[in-house]
Amino acid sequence: MNDCPMKNTDRLAYLSGDLEEGRRTTVAEHLKKCPDCREEVEELRRVFEGADAVKGEIREALRSVDWEALPGRIADYVYAGAEKPDKISVSERFRMWFLQPRLRPALAGLALGVVLGSLSMYLVLRRPVPGPNGGKNYYASGEFLDRAELEMARRETVDYLERSQYVLLDFLGTPSGQAAARSALSMVQARELLSKKKYLNRELEKFQMAKAKTICDQIEMLFLELAQISGDLPEAELAKMRDLVEDRQLFLKINLVKKELQNGV
Amino acid sequence: MGFNMRKIIPAICLVLALGLGSAASGRAFPQAPTDEKLFQEAKLLIFDKKWDAALDKLQEIVDSGAKGPYYSQAVFYKGECLNSIKGREKDALLAYKEYIQLRDANPSLIEKSEGSIIDLAGVLYDKGDRTALKELESRLDHPNRAIKYYAAYKLSLVPDKAVASKAVPVLEQIIRTEKDPELTDRARIALLRVSPESLKSVEDRRPSSGSPRMLRIRIWKKGLKSPEVSLNIPWALADLALSAMDEEDKMALRKKGYDLNKIMNELAKSKESILRIEGEDGSIIEIWIE
Repeated sequence: MNDCPMKNTDRLAYLSGDLEEGRRTTVAEHLKKCPDCREEVEELRRVFEGADAVKGEIREALRSVDWEALPGRIADYVYAGAEKPDKISVSERFRMWFLQPRLRPALAGLALGVVLGSLSMYLVLRRPVPGPNGGKNYYASGEFLDRAELEMARRETVDYLERSQYVLLDFLGTPSGQAAARSALSMVQARELLSKKKYLNRELEKFQMAKAKTICDQIEMLFLELAQISGDLPEAELAKMRDLVEDRQLFLKINLVKKELQNGV
Repeated sequence: MGFNMRKIIPAICLVLALGLGSAASGRAFPQAPTDEKLFQEAKLLIFDKKWDAALDKLQEIVDSGAKGPYYSQAVFYKGECLNSIKGREKDALLAYKEYIQLRDANPSLIEKSEGSIIDLAGVLYDKGDRTALKELESRLDHPNRAIKYYAAYKLSLVPDKAVASKAVPVLEQIIRTEKDPELTDRARIALLRVSPESLKSVEDRRPSSGSPRMLRIRIWKKGLKSPEVSLNIPWALADLALSAMDEEDKMALRKKGYDLNKIMNELAKSKESILRIEGEDGSIIEIWIE
């Protein structure tokens, strides 16, 4: 704030050159001594110079206007505007109304709302994907489950072969005359093994355990034969099966495949 | 005695006629021994996986028209042969279906036929025959548990999750009611594939036996920000999971003196604490239980 007693009107009049000679000299002397007034006068001078520049531009613009042709051009524009509604379609009018500058802030807000709303819906409704810690739910990749199934197939095939060996030995190793000794338990076990074999089929094929599959299939066929016999196994049937097992060296093959599987081959 | 002769003579004639008739038929139609021979030959061929040759012999028994003692078995084994010949899946399915309808069908062979029908339905579905799914779905409430369980297991492998999820109630039932770990572990793996949240729910409802509920494994490879392996699985599958780890990771454990038993023992002793094993290549294996 300038506390100098000199009036603002004097400073303005000094700048515009409207002061009488005596008063003009007094103000000029004062400006030499008073830095505040000098600063204000400098500011005012800059404002006036800016205004003069604008005035020049306006003058230039006005000079470029063809004042004689202007009324005709305005009339043409008005007539053209009057015909326009017949040519503009409803959708075009809606588009013009919808995109009018006044509505642009509202439209921008609406678009932002849609984006944010979609994002929040996605975050709320998406399936929970286990992060590094996997949450409290169970989670395992398909690749891991395949490996787990392979491991299960390996173990269960070894178990199937071992148990089959015992059951076959029980059936084929007991003479026909000792039918009672051939326990009904072995028959039950044979049926249980038949029931389990179907689970192995897919895995033995999937993991290309061909040797194990062949041997398991042959054992299954013997069990199917045994499962159909009620009561004592006739000596002739027993001899046939024994010959078949010996001829095809079934027990030897069982042992070899079992060892391979146990060693993780 | 004299009066009775009138009745006795026709009876003797009848018995003689029947006796001669049956003897004559035995000579004129030696069907039984022929069928038996064919059947034995077919079985040996099946044992050696010579499916086409076996099928010819079995077809001969079936086509003979006489539904003797070997007919039903011939139908069953015909299904077995067709099942093993590529492209004959539909014929095999029909043969098995015919067998299970036979009056003298054997229970063990019926169960085997049902299992094969389920397998064949899976194969046909994979080849694009969507109607084959009916064979699987209709067996989800089969009175024989073995067949019902197997149908659920096979259905869980269908890639379409909406279809596979129909197996969930039976898989849950297996975990809740069965004792055989082979069955329950398979059901757990199937549920992990199809619906891990259902597995969580059924495991949480099981009475607590004092053992932990969940095994967690994270394997961090050097330089990676997120774990390469991330597993949350039921404790019942822990042994299987550790065996199914990648060979490299298993090797890293072995080098540090950890075998599966040691890991299991340490985890069982120190509940909630993390077993952290650093490999020589900078990888880190973290195992903990909850």
